[in-house]
Amino acid sequence: MMGLLSHAVVDAPLFADAVGRFFQPDTLARILIEGLGKAAIYFIIAIGLTLVFGLMGILNFAHGAFAMVGAYLGGILMVVALSSTSGAFTRIVFFIVVVAVIFALMTAVGSALEIGLVRPIYDRTPMYQILLTFGVGLILEELARIIASSQGIQPEPTWTAARDTIPGFLSAPSEIIQGLFGTNIRGFYMFAIAAGILLAGAVWLFLNRTLYGLYIRAGSEDPEMVEALGVDVRKAFTVVFGLGTGLAAVGGVFLMWDPNWGPSVMLNLDVLLYAFVVVVIGGLGSFKGTLIAAVIVGIADSFTTWLFNTGIVAFSGLPEVTIFLLLVIALIVRPQGLYGVEEVGGH
Amino acid sequence: MAISPVDDPVSDGGADASAETEPVTDKRETRKGVSADGDEQQDRTRDGADRHWVGQYLRDHLSHIAVVAFFVLYPGLSAALAGIPALDIGIATVDPGAFFDAFLPSMPFMIAMLFLGLFAMSFDFISGYTGYLSFGHAAFYGIGAYFVVMAANGLIPGIPQGTPFVLTMVIGATIAFLVALAIGAVSFRLTGVYFAMITLGFAQVMYELIRSWGYAATNPTEGPSFAGEAPTPEIGVPFVDSLSVAIGRLGGDSFDNLLGLGIDLSSTVTSYYAIGLVVLLSYFAMQRVIHSPFGQVMIAIRENEERAEAIGYNVFWYKMGAFGISAFFAAIAGALFAAFRGSASPDDTFYFLVTADALIVTIIGGIGTLAGPFFGSFFFESLEDILSSQQGGLAPYLRETLPDGLLGADVAGITFLDVINTAVDGRAPLYLGVIFVLFVLFVPNGILGTVRDRLGGTVANRLPAHLERYRR
Repeated sequence: MMGLLSHAVVDAPLFADAVGRFFQPDTLARILIEGLGKAAIYFIIAIGLTLVFGLMGILNFAHGAFAMVGAYLGGILMVVALSSTSGAFTRIVFFIVVVAVIFALMTAVGSALEIGLVRPIYDRTPMYQILLTFGVGLILEELARIIASSQGIQPEPTWTAARDTIPGFLSAPSEIIQGLFGTNIRGFYMFAIAAGILLAGAVWLFLNRTLYGLYIRAGSEDPEMVEALGVDVRKAFTVVFGLGTGLAAVGGVFLMWDPNWGPSVMLNLDVLLYAFVVVVIGGLGSFKGTLIAAVIVGIADSFTTWLFNTGIVAFSGLPEVTIFLLLVIALIVRPQGLYGVEEVGGH
Repeated sequence: MAISPVDDPVSDGGADASAETEPVTDKRETRKGVSADGDEQQDRTRDGADRHWVGQYLRDHLSHIAVVAFFVLYPGLSAALAGIPALDIGIATVDPGAFFDAFLPSMPFMIAMLFLGLFAMSFDFISGYTGYLSFGHAAFYGIGAYFVVMAANGLIPGIPQGTPFVLTMVIGATIAFLVALAIGAVSFRLTGVYFAMITLGFAQVMYELIRSWGYAATNPTEGPSFAGEAPTPEIGVPFVDSLSVAIGRLGGDSFDNLLGLGIDLSSTVTSYYAIGLVVLLSYFAMQRVIHSPFGQVMIAIRENEERAEAIGYNVFWYKMGAFGISAFFAAIAGALFAAFRGSASPDDTFYFLVTADALIVTIIGGIGTLAGPFFGSFFFESLEDILSSQQGGLAPYLRETLPDGLLGADVAGITFLDVINTAVDGRAPLYLGVIFVLFVLFVPNGILGTVRDRLGGTVANRLPAHLERYRR
């Protein structure tokens, strides 16, 4: 650890300087807005996982792979449909269409997977559901790798052609923020915030205004009672697993444009790990918890990224370490998560 | 008679028709570690009054002996089979040698099997026996690997550069043991998914830190490797040169015309035996723990933790102990891995996927059976070997043996050759994933677990009875 420490040691004048820089409106705005943008992304990739866990008690290890499939499918649709001359408006409209199409498609795929693979093993211990979904994730990742490389696309690090379908005003710094706070923030983060709010609203409405939402909320509190009251739990499981898959894929479509991610087979594990962090911190199965945890993780991410980018801390892995430390600390301090139910997820 | 521990399995291999000397030799090995001058004692055990005891012991360990004999004989066997010359039988050439060369796992994969097997066994030790999924197990593997490489490079304060590998390996494993206790102290307050998550969190934090730890390696994302002045890792009795052999892909010892028997051992085969010996000893150590009262409490915790606690066991400390022991052997596996490869990289040691490999082979081999993960690992590496084109393998074999007409036959513009190139060559992870899912669905107890269910007990216990039945 000596090497690390010598990197991380901050000289006193530098420290004062850093504090001074931190309390400037443009820095604060930057950390906050970029943090919310990242929070939106984290929310989008995690919400499907928490829904599935909430009702079914299944930790879906194929979640990241579904996001990866979504990113690639979205990329294919965007690359095929758009030419380099397409305007920003066309791109946005098309993006929304792609999100809808992929959500529908992957919801169907997820439901089919649930019926075919997950359903036979509900009576086993939760470990087998983890293992099964993990295996499905491995297969999907490897299939994506084979198909991508057979089409001449590099499976790693990222498929740039798909990432570059982002309209210019989203990849460039946002002018509105520039005018208001005098700081450069990628337009994409503004777009992500808007999308995250929309999605959170949609999921909230689904949970609170529909029958299946009611099942999920009830099921995450007392699954046996729900069953006893005559709900067709099997059908509800199929629907919810499908929705979770669809939401994961939608998360993948968003990541396609994200400057830090982009379509690649690495999404399988990366999305999985970060979605886990968010879901566990928030409490497995809790919508509110996931939302708040996403904001915490997003702000922590943008703050530590700022620390590194300004050279205050010369340790490039700081954001990742911070995020996983948050997971560990959250589990030590409050194992059931911010809004989780205590009994869920134990033995 | 200064047989080095590594030569021994070979000489066993030679005398293996009478496989009964095997466990006795094993005993001798362990004892020799303590006192180099134990011949007198051994002879007494061997030829002494209590022949019956030895016979019973051998019968009890028949399955162990068979397995060890197989792996001891494997290098010679596979070389002999691959060396069968091609036969021209008029209509076509039959080349069984090429077939065996393509389908029998080659030595580098067999060595990978050894340390993956040990790592998976240590993973199973905690996950399969106490029921606590240790998703951050790669951290201990990484500690073992990094410790030996850094110690060899003189980077660990207090450990001089020339310290024998065996010592640094054990010290590294002890550190892993202590780290496991520290992690366990906070993690064992949690159960189920939460335990898996917090261990994963710890491992990922360490992974990210190691990736940018400039002290360990000049390029931390690539990880450290044995520098020029670092001694070649040797397995054997520390400080006794004649009882140690160097291992490693490049710098390992090789023996020509061993003991005048006309057997040549390449450096890879020497490493295979040396590493295999450590794995075997580790297996017996872990098996001893499992069969002790301590191990029975571990199983009780898996079956019903509340009840184990109610009986009066302090389950927390049993779990801590099991976690520590498991971390110890995971670190041994990591040290062997780094020693053979000559380097350690964060992605091959601390990363989540390393744990995932252990998880996969544990499930395929049979979770909750100690030897199962080892067989799972054998299966895993065989598949890797067959589907990779590094050393023989299916794809080159098909390309060479199939007639050109078939290879060139195309359906909708895709030739059969293209199919082989994209769907076979280097695609082990895909088929492994499929096999893994099939195992989870249809063989949840894994290979060894299913065999045990069939036999109605452990193989070691049931096999003699079964053989007895066939003899009559």
